[in-house]
Amino acid sequence: MEVLKIEKLHKYFGKLHVLRGIDLSVNRGEVVSVIGPSGSGKSTLLRCVDHLETAERGSIEIAGSFLAKADAEGKSVYPSAAEIQQIATSIGMVFQNFNLFPHRSVLENLIEAPVYVKKLSKDEATEKALALLARVGLSDKKDSYPGQLSGGQQQRVAIARALAMEPELMLFDEPTSALDPELIGEVLRVIKDLAKEHITMLIVTHEMNFAAEISDRVIFMDEGQIIAEGDPHGILQNPDNPRIQTFLHKIIDRE
Amino acid sequence: MGAGVTLQVFAVTLVFSIPIGILCAIGKLSRFRVVRFLISIYTWVFRGTPLLLQLFFTYYGLAILTNGAISLEPLPAALLTFVFNYAAYFTEIFRAGIQSIGRGQYEASKALGMPHWLMMRRIILPQAVKIILPPMGNEAINLIKDTALCSVITITEILRNAQKVMSRDFNITALVIAACIYLALTFIVILLFRRLEKRFAYYSIK
Repeated sequence: MEVLKIEKLHKYFGKLHVLRGIDLSVNRGEVVSVIGPSGSGKSTLLRCVDHLETAERGSIEIAGSFLAKADAEGKSVYPSAAEIQQIATSIGMVFQNFNLFPHRSVLENLIEAPVYVKKLSKDEATEKALALLARVGLSDKKDSYPGQLSGGQQQRVAIARALAMEPELMLFDEPTSALDPELIGEVLRVIKDLAKEHITMLIVTHEMNFAAEISDRVIFMDEGQIIAEGDPHGILQNPDNPRIQTFLHKIIDRE
Repeated sequence: MGAGVTLQVFAVTLVFSIPIGILCAIGKLSRFRVVRFLISIYTWVFRGTPLLLQLFFTYYGLAILTNGAISLEPLPAALLTFVFNYAAYFTEIFRAGIQSIGRGQYEASKALGMPHWLMMRRIILPQAVKIILPPMGNEAINLIKDTALCSVITITEILRNAQKVMSRDFNITALVIAACIYLALTFIVILLFRRLEKRFAYYSIK
């Protein structure tokens, strides 16, 4: 069953045509990685799914609800703010820069939305939050403030905060790009654990080995289009597409 | 000594101008162009003319303009003027505070499905408060001193009292005492804000 279904999605920034007709489906329990050169539209795609950007054309369907529905001419039509907020609660977003709430403790970061958006009782939300903190290995940090944590710890809290809403779909926007190299591993390990639990995930990443290891499917994007998609072995180890070969060579050269 | 009136003007001004300032700041950042325009006119007028002139206007001017239909007592006239004058300054301070909160906080709130007002109340404004405390402290000190302007519309506050005593006794003791009262009041305000800033020091915005 599809948790995410994107059809003919177009996004412009002024005259810049950033997404040029994206078709993409993600099934329940599937882990899909999006790779590609910077400026290829990967992050914009993710941000459209989470309604941080508004698409001009095409449709986005999340767990059976239309975030954007294409009208007869293909133009994206969005529902009311309240409906969008409702859909947003079924998506968890993990940002490159964590974006934790600095004035709230780790535990408060986790229960904020469950209590005030989902209207869970504080006790119930706290109980779930503590379980999530244990899962990302940060039980001892529940009373710390984000500013007191390392980047890796902050990102693990951010993952737990997104999971606290029990989303149907988790989005990761380059979750390790802002981290010092020695902190990347701990965050990737947490995401790997989620993959084992069959949490549906769409991940934009530059970590090729990581993508190869955890993905059921890899999408290669360039210039606002999906150039290739398939199993990680085919896309990453034996690409027949010259553009993917060039991209992978550049990354290998860098490393 | 008239300190009562001074404190009254001080307290009433803060209590009413802060909420008005918050609302106007949010309005000034809203997507409604008319709202933004009207609030800009308001802050321009009240920040762009002397408070003394505004006091004259509400006390004398309104009465003349309306042929006596609106004729305010000195104290209400002073309170009204001070509230709207200070709210105009607070609007700009709050607006700057709100705008200094990074885009990531808005995006994280939105991603969690928070409605706009919930986000403002729980995420944006509490962080803005920390940023605006130092300029708010400045305004509060200014307010203490500005209350002396009330003397020109016949309100007997600290300064006017001192003036009366001075011309009666023909020495400056009263003036020195008045200065000491102002110093004491501003000192209390400084301490209060220092304490508030400490309370918000438990976290840092990077």
